[in-house]
Amino acid sequence: MSVTRHPDSAWLIDYACGNLSRGFELVISAHLMACAVCTEEVRRAEQLGAELLFGGQPAAPKLTAVDVLDAEGGDLSWLTARFALRPAVGTTSLQAFVDSYLDCGLSALPWRKAGRGLQVAKLRADEHERLWVLRAAPNTVLPRHTHAGSELTLVLKGAYFNGDTIYAAGDLEDANETTDHQPIVTRDAECICLAATEGPLRFASWAPRLVQRYLGI
Amino acid sequence: MLHKLMTKPHDPTAHEPTADDAGTDGAAIVPFPVDAGRTEENDSAAHETQLLVRVRDQRDRNAYQALFGLFAGKVQGYLRRTGIDPADAENILQDIMLAVWQKANLFDPQRASARTWIFSLARNRLIDIKRSLKREYAALERYSLETADDQVYEEDMLARAAGGKSVALLAHLPPEQASVLLMAYVEGKSHREIALELKLPIGTVKSRARLGFQRVRALLEQAK
Repeated sequence: MSVTRHPDSAWLIDYACGNLSRGFELVISAHLMACAVCTEEVRRAEQLGAELLFGGQPAAPKLTAVDVLDAEGGDLSWLTARFALRPAVGTTSLQAFVDSYLDCGLSALPWRKAGRGLQVAKLRADEHERLWVLRAAPNTVLPRHTHAGSELTLVLKGAYFNGDTIYAAGDLEDANETTDHQPIVTRDAECICLAATEGPLRFASWAPRLVQRYLGI
Repeated sequence: MLHKLMTKPHDPTAHEPTADDAGTDGAAIVPFPVDAGRTEENDSAAHETQLLVRVRDQRDRNAYQALFGLFAGKVQGYLRRTGIDPADAENILQDIMLAVWQKANLFDPQRASARTWIFSLARNRLIDIKRSLKREYAALERYSLETADDQVYEEDMLARAAGGKSVALLAHLPPEQASVLLMAYVEGKSHREIALELKLPIGTVKSRARLGFQRVRALLEQAK
């Protein structure tokens, strides 16, 4: 898989700092599964973190190495689902990664129709963000829309065009309130994307707005 | 505070090796092969990584103790600067240092140095805590200082947070870029939160972060 479309490195810095909300973090994590370039950028951002945050005045903990070595067991559940356990780039398929996050196959998601050729399944919604999976049939023209905030879209399967740019599996489209776009799925295969958005999408025509209100996207 | 930090004259001693780098806390330090072409900074990073590899491959308790001596104080300092109270910080430190011992098998020196790996463990633990508190933690005044034990952190917190080598690293940047990086790394604010706080467009904050990061990247590469 050759990934050519990457997020702004500001996203990777926020990821390395642990400042992203879950949905955006998931989309970035999934892109990293497929992208050696961004993985290396994250490593550098973490390296900067280590230099900045370990470089200050050290504290004097009471805890000793022996306390830790003698401790029986210990709860490391906080570690298991995290990206410290991230597999190396290219060792896990995007599909497998997302399935393991969802803990089910894509077919088991609560899909809803969202216009001709398009289905969406909302995975998360809170005051900060929404996360969903979009599934579009070949040749589907998605409603033209702008955004109230940031939107990261990762292609899991298939491909779509936005203007002259093609986004294929592993590619990440980094859009925000200044982006006005109309994705068109390529004609050979269906396209499945994972998307995180900060605010509701703003569709340019009235018909999708009704769908939007109905679906809450 | 950020402004004060940024206008501080560059400290020419910042690159000098410190007691931390040498690990002179009485813990057993294991010798490692000397490579004449390397700098002090590279050597200490390589040494840390070598210790962690010995923990991973040989379950070497002496190597672990040496690593603990090098990192426990730094990790604890990091936790305290994020606003965690001293008692909690000890428990969290234990979680992190336990993970270093028990999960060393996950360490791959091809992918990160020991200090970067330990930083990412600490960061992951903090994310978990933040989330389990449902961002109440984020709403707390991170630098509210009440107990006497906090006095040491009271003055010029960010300068301390980004003390020594780090100030030298950021001293190469225009102040507005350094500020954004410090807010992201030290205060744990997302670029969106920084944009709201500084009343700047999100694009401006992102480009400051990106440009600042690109500049320090070259310096980081030298210290890889």
